[in-house]
Amino acid sequence: MEATNVLPGTLDLLILKALSLGPLYGYAVLLRIEEISGRALDIEQGALYPALYRLERRGWIETEWGQSENNRRTKYYKLTTPGRKQLREQTDSWHRMVSAMAAALGARTSEV
Amino acid sequence: MFKVVWRALSRRRDWEQELHDEIRDHIAHRTADLIRAGLAPCEAARRARVEFGSAASLKELCREAHGLSWPSEVMQDLRYAWRMLGRNAGFTSIAVLSLALGIGVNIVVFGVINGILLRPLPVPDPDRIVSVARPSGTASQSFPNYGDIRDRNAVFESLFAYRFAAVGLETEGKAERTWGFLVTGNYFDGLGIRPALGRFFGANDTAAINESPWAVISYGCWRTRFGGDPKIVGRVVHINSYPYTIVGVAPPGFRGTEIFYSPEIWLPASMQPQIDGRSLLEARQSNTFWVAGRLKRGISIAQANSNLSVVAAQMASQFVADEGMRISVARPGLLGPVISNPIHAFAAGVMLLAGLVLLAACANLASLLAVRLADRHRELAIRISVGAGRARIARQLVTESIPIALLGAGLGCCIAVALLNALTRLRVSLDFPVQFDVTADWRVFLFSLLAAVAICIFLAIAPALYAWRTDPYQRLRAPDGPHHRWALRDVALAGQIALCCILVTASFVSLRGLAESLTMPLGIEPRGVAAAAFDLAPAGCRGSQVQAFQQRALEAIERIPGVASAAFCDTIPLYMDQSDTEVYSSGTTDLRPANGQQSYLYVVSPAFFRTVGTRLILGRNFTRHDNANTPPVAIVNETFARQILGGANQVGSFFRHGPLVQVVGIVEDGKYQELAEEARPAFFVPILQHPNTSVIAIARTTRPERQVAAEMRTAVQNLDPRIPVYDTSGLNDLLGFTYLPVRAAVISLGTFGLLAILLSITGIYGVAAYSVSRRQREIAIRTAIGARRYHVLRQILGRTGIFVLIGCFAGLAFGMGASRVLASIVYQATPRDPLVIIAVVLTMGAVGIGAGYRPARRALVLDPAEVLRQD
Repeated sequence: MEATNVLPGTLDLLILKALSLGPLYGYAVLLRIEEISGRALDIEQGALYPALYRLERRGWIETEWGQSENNRRTKYYKLTTPGRKQLREQTDSWHRMVSAMAAALGARTSEV
Repeated sequence: MFKVVWRALSRRRDWEQELHDEIRDHIAHRTADLIRAGLAPCEAARRARVEFGSAASLKELCREAHGLSWPSEVMQDLRYAWRMLGRNAGFTSIAVLSLALGIGVNIVVFGVINGILLRPLPVPDPDRIVSVARPSGTASQSFPNYGDIRDRNAVFESLFAYRFAAVGLETEGKAERTWGFLVTGNYFDGLGIRPALGRFFGANDTAAINESPWAVISYGCWRTRFGGDPKIVGRVVHINSYPYTIVGVAPPGFRGTEIFYSPEIWLPASMQPQIDGRSLLEARQSNTFWVAGRLKRGISIAQANSNLSVVAAQMASQFVADEGMRISVARPGLLGPVISNPIHAFAAGVMLLAGLVLLAACANLASLLAVRLADRHRELAIRISVGAGRARIARQLVTESIPIALLGAGLGCCIAVALLNALTRLRVSLDFPVQFDVTADWRVFLFSLLAAVAICIFLAIAPALYAWRTDPYQRLRAPDGPHHRWALRDVALAGQIALCCILVTASFVSLRGLAESLTMPLGIEPRGVAAAAFDLAPAGCRGSQVQAFQQRALEAIERIPGVASAAFCDTIPLYMDQSDTEVYSSGTTDLRPANGQQSYLYVVSPAFFRTVGTRLILGRNFTRHDNANTPPVAIVNETFARQILGGANQVGSFFRHGPLVQVVGIVEDGKYQELAEEARPAFFVPILQHPNTSVIAIARTTRPERQVAAEMRTAVQNLDPRIPVYDTSGLNDLLGFTYLPVRAAVISLGTFGLLAILLSITGIYGVAAYSVSRRQREIAIRTAIGARRYHVLRQILGRTGIFVLIGCFAGLAFGMGASRVLASIVYQATPRDPLVIIAVVLTMGAVGIGAGYRPARRALVLDPAEVLRQD
């Protein structure tokens, strides 16, 4: 299956979702997203970091220091309480939009 | 502050390091994954890097996403700005200097206005101190009137009166003429100040007329005349040869309520008869006291005015001398509205023009910045392509213009403060202690700060717009920058030229005003007249001694070599101190002010007209025989003859000034109070019929006037060394005060005009030079394919020329329209004067040609082959 570019604005949501499953360092966030999306979403590697910094500034995620698998001091990102709330809200609104879009795109002439 | 910045900077370094590490780790992880997927290690590393993209632009995006803490961000921009400014030292110095001059003149003008009009008196609760003045005419009151206003009003907590007085203060056996105030007993209490030493005299110890010999001296007087003697209180000094006890020293900085005057001594008003030799305390018709007071708490100006108008109406119906009396409160400090209103108008006009200078400086800088911005197109394009956002670029450009504004404002502030201090120290060479305290205070610094902020914002607008408006991608495609029909630099240039034109018009108008006032017929010929004033009262000379002494002094002065004629007078036309009086036609029997006419009065000795250079038209001069034993006579001017005697040929007729006075001669009209006045009646009476202890001796001479004046001083003091002689100078110098307004106008407006011209030259030069250098290739190609140089030049500089012309016309039109503003600054001068218009056109033409010459020359001598080879 061909990988799709993420829609603008959905990268933040994906990062929040990925981090809701546990703290991760930068590259691992990327891997986690690929994994949970069944490798259907292709994220441009460069775009990840500005998004992380943006979320950090908004206070939705925070950083802490930890050891990576190869025993290097690595910066881990983890979800904050406001971030968790944000994830919930964005997920809800995403679902609402998807069902609305589906309804709209599935419409037939007879239903109009 | 420094610590905050430092901490922020080190935090910032850590942050950059973390970002760097994070990216490195990411690439390492990716490389490891790729190797695991089967790639060769070096190929894996390369792939990982390519996939990741440009680390530099990513870092920039991360910085923006993260948001920097302000000190490090600003520091970074400032460091960059500093580098840019250093690289263009020429541009920077021109920009800073022009801004410094523009802001400097504004601070100076504001400082003067602050010192004269805004600064409150140095007394507690200064807002409640107001002066009581007549809305027109002389603002002063007679002493009886003062008493009535004080007793009948309901709005003043205390109302006091003061009179300017020059006394002979004897220190070490020598009488020196010292200026001060005669003040009512409640003066110090009313002002609410505390003495630096001793005590002030009060209402209860000054009630006895001629028996309250107390003196308060100023802090400066105590330091200079008495060497700061700590035992000064209780010391007895001789004033006009009478003993007075010094009871106290006023606090430093206290100079009474008139801001242009620095008195050295305060004496009780109840001593006035002794000091002046005649009493003014009962004369209701002589307005010789100034009245001010402290309003009761909570009384508004409107309430005070309505109460005072009731008081005035009562007094007008009760006393003949007060008929038609009107009084109101005014801001203290400038002798009432007759004097302060023109000063306000003058100040407002000059401030407005100074503001225009600053605006011109800003426009100049804006056009230079715009030109430079266009020159830096390529650099900005590169910065954008490596990932700097628009906001980032705008911020950078704004930060670059802020150091210019701050440096300019700082330098301008330094220049202005130095100038203001010099102005404060400036002593006009007059007997009268004129001194303005215009030193910079917090208001001046606040003004400077606000001006600097305004300039920063003004200068930031252009680059911010530039960065915002244009599409970065389009910029890369067109490396020369967008070509707008109305480029910002052109508009700024035209605006600046228009402002320059207005200011040049103003300075020519003021020059014209000066020229006119210098050639205006004054009714006297001050050139070649030496003067020396002396007062016999301080030396204790009284009664018949006075005239005898004055006669001997006159003879001594006549013996000075090179003196053609010599005379005395109580005051000279256009000198600071003029007196006017009511006169009545001979038929008037009801002598109330409403039936009389105001006329200037001069007390003169026989040779006065010959010496001062006033033409006798009809009749005869005074002689020795017009003395106390002969009937009173007068010589009048033409306007007096026409208005009061009822015809030009009225020698021999009478008018009433006290007794009936016979007119024996008619002299030409002159100027008496100020240059701008209409023709006014004046009459002259012989000094032998009107003895006066204080006189000015004048001598017409062919030798240098100051030298003769010094010899006159010696001649008088040889007769009696105790007599203070002052105002020894050429008459032209003494009348300098008269020319002060027009000189002040020429100096201020001339400076503005010169600054504007300098700014215009740099502005035109900058824009023209830029056009030529940017279109070198085009010029070369056109020349190479055979275009005439003249056509090429028109192509290149025509646009700039057109904008300069538009600016000129707009400026000239505005200048014409501004005649009302200019009329408030310069008397009898209008921008509609053809000479002014011609001068402005010629000057602007010269400015345009002068500034455009070098760039045009460069375009003309350009070698096409060379230019084309370069690229």
